[in-house]
Amino acid sequence: MRTWLVSFARRGPARYLSHLDTLRAVQRTFARAGVPLELSEGMRPKPRLSLPLPLPVGAAAEDELAVARVGDSAPEARRGLAALRAAAPAGLEVSALRESPRRVRPQPLRARYRCEVRGDAAAVAAAARGIEEGGPAHVVRRGPKGTKTVDLRESVGDVSCRALPGGARLEFEVRYDAGAAARPQEVVEFIADTAGIEPVLHRLRRVEVVFAEKGRARRAPERRSTAT
Amino acid sequence: MGGEFNLRRKPGARPRIVLSYPDAYEVGISNPGLQILYELVNDRTPAAAERAYCPLPDMADLMRARGVRLWALESAAPVAECDLWGFTLPHELAFTNVLEMLDLAGVPLHAAERGEEDPVVMGGGPAVADPWPLAAFFDAFFIGEVEGHMAAIVEALGAPSRAARLGRLAAVPGVWLPHAAAQGPVERQVFTEFSRTPPVERPLVPLVEAVHDRVVIEVMRGCTAGCRFCQAGMWYRPVRERPVDMVVEAAARALAATGYDEVSLVSLSSCDYSGIDEAVRRIRALRPGIRVSLPSLRIDSAASSLAGFAAEQRGSVTLAPEAGTQALRERLNKRVDERQFDEAVRAVFSGGFTGLKLYFMIGLPEETDDDVLGIPAMAAAAARRAKEIARGRARLSVSVSSYVPKPHTPFELEPFAGEDALRRRQALLRTAMPRHVRLSLHHLESSLVEATLARGGPGSDHLVEDAWRRGARFDGWTEHFDEAAWRGAAAAAGLALGEPGGDEAPWGAAGEGAPWRAAVDARVSPGFLEEERRRAAALAATEDCRDGACVACGVCGAGVEMEVLA
Repeated sequence: MRTWLVSFARRGPARYLSHLDTLRAVQRTFARAGVPLELSEGMRPKPRLSLPLPLPVGAAAEDELAVARVGDSAPEARRGLAALRAAAPAGLEVSALRESPRRVRPQPLRARYRCEVRGDAAAVAAAARGIEEGGPAHVVRRGPKGTKTVDLRESVGDVSCRALPGGARLEFEVRYDAGAAARPQEVVEFIADTAGIEPVLHRLRRVEVVFAEKGRARRAPERRSTAT
Repeated sequence: MGGEFNLRRKPGARPRIVLSYPDAYEVGISNPGLQILYELVNDRTPAAAERAYCPLPDMADLMRARGVRLWALESAAPVAECDLWGFTLPHELAFTNVLEMLDLAGVPLHAAERGEEDPVVMGGGPAVADPWPLAAFFDAFFIGEVEGHMAAIVEALGAPSRAARLGRLAAVPGVWLPHAAAQGPVERQVFTEFSRTPPVERPLVPLVEAVHDRVVIEVMRGCTAGCRFCQAGMWYRPVRERPVDMVVEAAARALAATGYDEVSLVSLSSCDYSGIDEAVRRIRALRPGIRVSLPSLRIDSAASSLAGFAAEQRGSVTLAPEAGTQALRERLNKRVDERQFDEAVRAVFSGGFTGLKLYFMIGLPEETDDDVLGIPAMAAAAARRAKEIARGRARLSVSVSSYVPKPHTPFELEPFAGEDALRRRQALLRTAMPRHVRLSLHHLESSLVEATLARGGPGSDHLVEDAWRRGARFDGWTEHFDEAAWRGAAAAAGLALGEPGGDEAPWGAAGEGAPWRAAVDARVSPGFLEEERRRAAALAATEDCRDGACVACGVCGAGVEMEVLA
């Protein structure tokens, strides 16, 4: 059994892809690179490929992770990395590949997001502090199965705000090991509502993700990593 | 949108051409014609080909509100700054989208208002069989298959002024300038190198879900089955087949370049491709898990065609009897009898396919209520087979569209059935269709628009513009179709929707005054069309010329000839 952990960035027009579209693009990248993916068993076999932490539509990302089970005829990691880099579409930039001889199931622990909002930076900063220092920060999530109330304080932390001309840059961390995790858009909407600004986020970027692999933490570097 | 696999970027290359399919990205990216031109221009000429599609109404409203002009996906540069803007025109229901795109790009709607800095706007594709409804908005049309003349078009764009560019384009065979004085009908161009030119091997692969998401290999162009209602069957003559080796090698390269695992072997009638069995077998053998699909099956050969499908591919099958009774099918030259239909249906269900879709038309020439009622009767017969063989596991659906007579076909002078007759026949179908058969009827109001534009004459461009100004766009999308806009525009033009648009002029008993003939010589001779119309009235069959003697349609000659594999 061979598992590949592929790090990649998502930039440019590719940031508007949905999770399933991103998954399909990564799958096609493997096919174009001539790297066979293992298939699941059953009536409709599917490639054993996953993106453990879906990215919101519109978000760029510096260091995402794809986990793939590859066939025995797949090349060794260095050649595989070169083939994937050459086969990827513009906007999906493969940065690193690590091979594991065993089955790996990385679980996301936390991720760091950065975005920009327009409006009074002081009001935004006060609202951002409110998430960590104030009372409950409830947002209501509506879906086909009804509504659900999520307290942002349970999963959002390390919120910072930096003034920019005409607005502010927000940075915050979302934890994924503590129940219902907040969505970046929900964090921004809560802050915008509190600060009285337009709830539109710009240049949303996931800059860092930390995964746990069987109890061992793998910290993804903030910048593009080099080939392994 | 954009960022696709196999995207070409040629910064600084001149001339800069923007190719457009006037529909939403998800539809346009699936169009094989645009993929051919994209590869041809970018890979075999010094020009750069970029693309733009029609933004959906909510996006268009936002673009207008924020002053954002339509841009090309490759360079993000404004479309208005290109040298040539080429539109593939698939059908009449995309016409208002052309105006929408011109407006969003900031290019003057009317060719007469364009200046030195504006692009040359050129149209091609099957809908230019009658270019009059778009004449005011285009500087030029290309009539027929452009592959053999693309290099000459690129060269013509190098002329120093707009007038000189149009002058040079006028000299390219197949180019019709609607605003040039005293230009006679332009002969449809046939790509005579088709069988010696490989199909698209490095197609654009969208990153979002598209209408068709697979490798498309055009195995054959043209069809001489001779169905009298079919415009494509007349427009793309003669039949030209690509060698099997070329097809298989192209499929292998395209699979490697795209990451797809499905190949569709397309043409107007892929079951008639001489090398179909060998091509399917060899493409499947390229690597495990490759699926091969055919866009349609002929009823008279369905049993043998279906036998070649692997068990894992057995989903749904479409058969097209077209008409409900034998007599009407004979009028159409659709040589399928009830025994063949029954054999095909049995083959579908015995083969383990889980769905069968039957495709019919109503509003055909000389159609009676009995012909219409023949459709539910055939559906009921198929349903009995489904119950008997598939034991309730198979789905049966019937799709019925309204026939619109098209130029350059034997039925080009036949009257359109009209709104009242079609509405009554649709009601007849709803009542008579067996309850467990899913019936899908084509949107009637869209057919009325199609009928008005398909044989529109000079002046019908005013109608298109008026409808667009009243809000019409995405006319082929039921959810966006604006009936009030079209009815209002038709009323303002003194027309009932469904009547051919344009300045009233008699077509003449033999169609000598038909406006489309003044612009386009489709190579199919008027005498052949007249003879076919006469044979339709007599319910006489016309053989496929690839199986027997030449039917003297007038297409072949002067280097144009049928090319069928030995």
